[in-house]
Amino acid sequence: MPVRQLPETIVNRIAAGEVVERPASVVKELVENAIDAGASRVDIFTDGGGRRRIGITDNGSGMTQADLALAVDRHATSKLDDEDLLRIRTLGFRGEALPSIGAVAKLAITTRHVSEPHAWSLSVEGGTKSAIVPAALTQGTRVEVSDLFYATPARLKFLKTDRTEAEAIREVVRRLAMARPDVAFTLAGEERAPVTWAAALPGAPGQLTRLGDILGADFRAAAIAVRSEREGVTVEGFAAAPSLTRANALGQYLFVNGRPVRDKLILGAVRAAYADYLPRDRHPIVALFVTLDPQEVDANVHPAKTEVRFRNAGLVRALIVNALKDGLAREGRRTAANVDGAVISSFRPAFSPRPGNWDWRSSPSYPTGSAPAYGGGVAATAFAERDQSAFDVGTPTADVRFESAPTPDLLDRPLGAARTQIHETYIVSQTRDGLIVIDQHAAHERIVYERLKASLAANGVQRQILLIPEIVELDEATVEKLVARASELEQFGLAIESFGPGAVAVRQTPSLLGKTNAAALLRDLAEHMAEWDEALPLERRLLHVAATMACHGSVRAGRILKPEEMNALLREMEDTPNSGQCNHGRPTYVELKLSDIEKLFGRR
Amino acid sequence: MKVTVERAQLLKSLGHVHRVVERRNTIPILGNVLIRAESNRLSLKATDLDLEVTETLPAEAATPGSTTVPAHMFYDIVRKLPDGSQIVLESDGDRSVLAIRAGRSRFTLQTLPESDFPDLAAGDMSHSFTLAAADVKRLIDRTQFAISTEETRYYLNGIYLHAAGSAKAPTLRAVATDGHRLAQVDLPQPKGASGMPGVIVPRKTVGEVQRLIEDADAEVTIELSQGKIRFTLGNVVLTSKLIDGTFPDYGRVIPQNNDKELVVDKKDFEAAVDRVSTISSERGRAVKLALSAGKLTLSVTNPDSGSATEELEVEYASDALDIGFNSRYLLDIAAQIEGEVAVLKLADPGSPTLVHDRDAKGALYVLMPMRV
Repeated sequence: MPVRQLPETIVNRIAAGEVVERPASVVKELVENAIDAGASRVDIFTDGGGRRRIGITDNGSGMTQADLALAVDRHATSKLDDEDLLRIRTLGFRGEALPSIGAVAKLAITTRHVSEPHAWSLSVEGGTKSAIVPAALTQGTRVEVSDLFYATPARLKFLKTDRTEAEAIREVVRRLAMARPDVAFTLAGEERAPVTWAAALPGAPGQLTRLGDILGADFRAAAIAVRSEREGVTVEGFAAAPSLTRANALGQYLFVNGRPVRDKLILGAVRAAYADYLPRDRHPIVALFVTLDPQEVDANVHPAKTEVRFRNAGLVRALIVNALKDGLAREGRRTAANVDGAVISSFRPAFSPRPGNWDWRSSPSYPTGSAPAYGGGVAATAFAERDQSAFDVGTPTADVRFESAPTPDLLDRPLGAARTQIHETYIVSQTRDGLIVIDQHAAHERIVYERLKASLAANGVQRQILLIPEIVELDEATVEKLVARASELEQFGLAIESFGPGAVAVRQTPSLLGKTNAAALLRDLAEHMAEWDEALPLERRLLHVAATMACHGSVRAGRILKPEEMNALLREMEDTPNSGQCNHGRPTYVELKLSDIEKLFGRR
Repeated sequence: MKVTVERAQLLKSLGHVHRVVERRNTIPILGNVLIRAESNRLSLKATDLDLEVTETLPAEAATPGSTTVPAHMFYDIVRKLPDGSQIVLESDGDRSVLAIRAGRSRFTLQTLPESDFPDLAAGDMSHSFTLAAADVKRLIDRTQFAISTEETRYYLNGIYLHAAGSAKAPTLRAVATDGHRLAQVDLPQPKGASGMPGVIVPRKTVGEVQRLIEDADAEVTIELSQGKIRFTLGNVVLTSKLIDGTFPDYGRVIPQNNDKELVVDKKDFEAAVDRVSTISSERGRAVKLALSAGKLTLSVTNPDSGSATEELEVEYASDALDIGFNSRYLLDIAAQIEGEVAVLKLADPGSPTLVHDRDAKGALYVLMPMRV
């Protein structure tokens, strides 16, 4: 068969494979178009998982008749004005979406530009344009896509169930909606209950409102505002306090210049920032917005534009880590401050009303009067050993020693005034508007840990020089990476140097780690660096040792604390960063608001 | 501050005071010992807020002064310094560190300001009396075993010290109970103790006094008020808070009309109980006492392992009686008998038994039986 130029319909169909991967990609492209058109309201309607029908209506600028005719042609766009791919300020720019969709589905566009006397309508079917005809529409654009992939049955076969596709569409819309709180979104369709996100004010409060609408009230309650800015790059957004986590990384929403992305660099930075707060198998929930000069970022990595490249990746990473760490340290004490509903409900009386013939007088709570201390038939008290009789020496009582009224100024402190210790493990403290239960060991452990960390940072990590340098053989690329970071590793007490092309010599190891398997450590490091480009495992191991030391050096459960000691602990918690979580990410205290207590008793 | 002190003396004194310091503290100053140098003596003070120990030892103070240093580390340093050395303690002008020199060793310890150190000893004491060290030791030794460790009945976590006895023969009485057994020891009331309030001395304080008394001089001065008690044992002063609570009316549980009297040789009885209880499991540990004229049969049956029986010749003339006791409690009480013969007064298998020493008066013990 001779070589020949493919007809345009086929070209478009092949290209469509990259842009229009599944119904959700269609929704993404069309909603992005709507946002780029300056719409303040976008209505999305889907049916059959988006396969049967997708309808997007916006109130944006609309298109003139001439624009409309061009819009469905390949590489036709209004979004690149000076043929410069370095200054992209819109979500789209490739001019591929409409022709790609038109190539694989039945596409109908109705649009009205202010300069036109009425709206115009155009339809494309299997890549063939119809004539432009007048239509009725007051403002904006309405795009209807039906019978998606009818022209490419192979793609149709590979679609997942309608339900899965509908879920994917929802996820796409959620992401776009998070990025633009000032735009109202409605997502409706046969397969879902309609959702409306009303337009919120631009700026942080509106953003938080929108995030709360989408990620749930839990997130809104636990959200910590974070912000960091340097050299024209701004990172801002909201991060959930470490008490609210997920089992996977899907709760991490990242936006670069308003574009939802999934970028390894950013995900890695989020992990690093939270490393000290979360157990290994939990993941934080964050919504971060990176804003920077479009010239500093390349969104044109992939047609779907979910990946980006930063010119100064190190700076972006550092900013994200800083922003998150600052925010967490600032709000670190705030933990599951407002105990969530599940905990509250566990406070509710656990028993249901007794059956009718239950007689309370035969229950253990029936007072038996003062049982005869001696004489026939002495009832063993609950504390006696089996069959061991006991005297009547009074009943257990609450300790009266701590009943002195708390001083008012202590009540005003964030953690309140310690009132008593229960089970020799938990401190109960009273605040102006509630009560706080503190796990004394977890709290003191964090305080000691932070002290150890500070001294590590101040004094550096001591290094043990090896008698015989350990030679670790690794592949060349890994060696290069490790050696490039030698100075950073040296800060953590690991001194390495390159030893020929395929090996690294370890000359010193951190003495904190004791006898350590340098080869395994280095491989671990190399693997992690290949994936995340950071030296986290080493730092984490050192901190793990510090955490163990902290655990041994802190007040244990079971130690009786005097009121002065409890108050001293509370005051120190107030001054210690991150004291809301213990080293293992568990909360160190929970707060029960007076209003919650009142709810428990039905007073509200 | 600059002071020179003998290592052996410093070590002994530090050994006394550092014990009250908790290893882990939420209040840093509580981990420290207060050092105060005055002309020819050095005083050391440590506290855990409930208990404070001050000890004074001879020293040559070139410059008087005071500071505080971490107690356990200071103790470890002194312990490791060579025996027989002279130790020089010196703090500089701003007193942020204390230098410790002995021979060629030199240490510096970070200090905390003395003004932060809590003072427990302040306040007037309403009553004061002096006892022989041996008497105080007996008062404590004979009652300590019965102190309850149960935190919910915190008022039983100590020894109840109070004035008792008749007007003719007033006594100073110590009582402790954990609800299963009770120990009561009387001493002739010393001058100054009449009208004293009944006080509950906490378990930790009791333990400390017991240790200090081993090294003490002949006499112990006790001062007390509603909230505090102070023991002065030679150059050691121990001040403690008291347990704020009401000790139960223990008199009600001491049986008055137990008519069955059992007289046993203390050593034989103790050894026999110990032997038969070998067979008992950890839980329960009941030993059965079968009494008949002139004969006591001790037996333990453990369904998991077997049984043990031992007969003892005893003085017993009342009706036959079977009664069970926790073997550990029996051994505890037998250990308190100073003389050779113990007297047990029984009523029936469900009632408390009274135990006392035939030769040594002033001490009595009450024990509740087990059902067997």
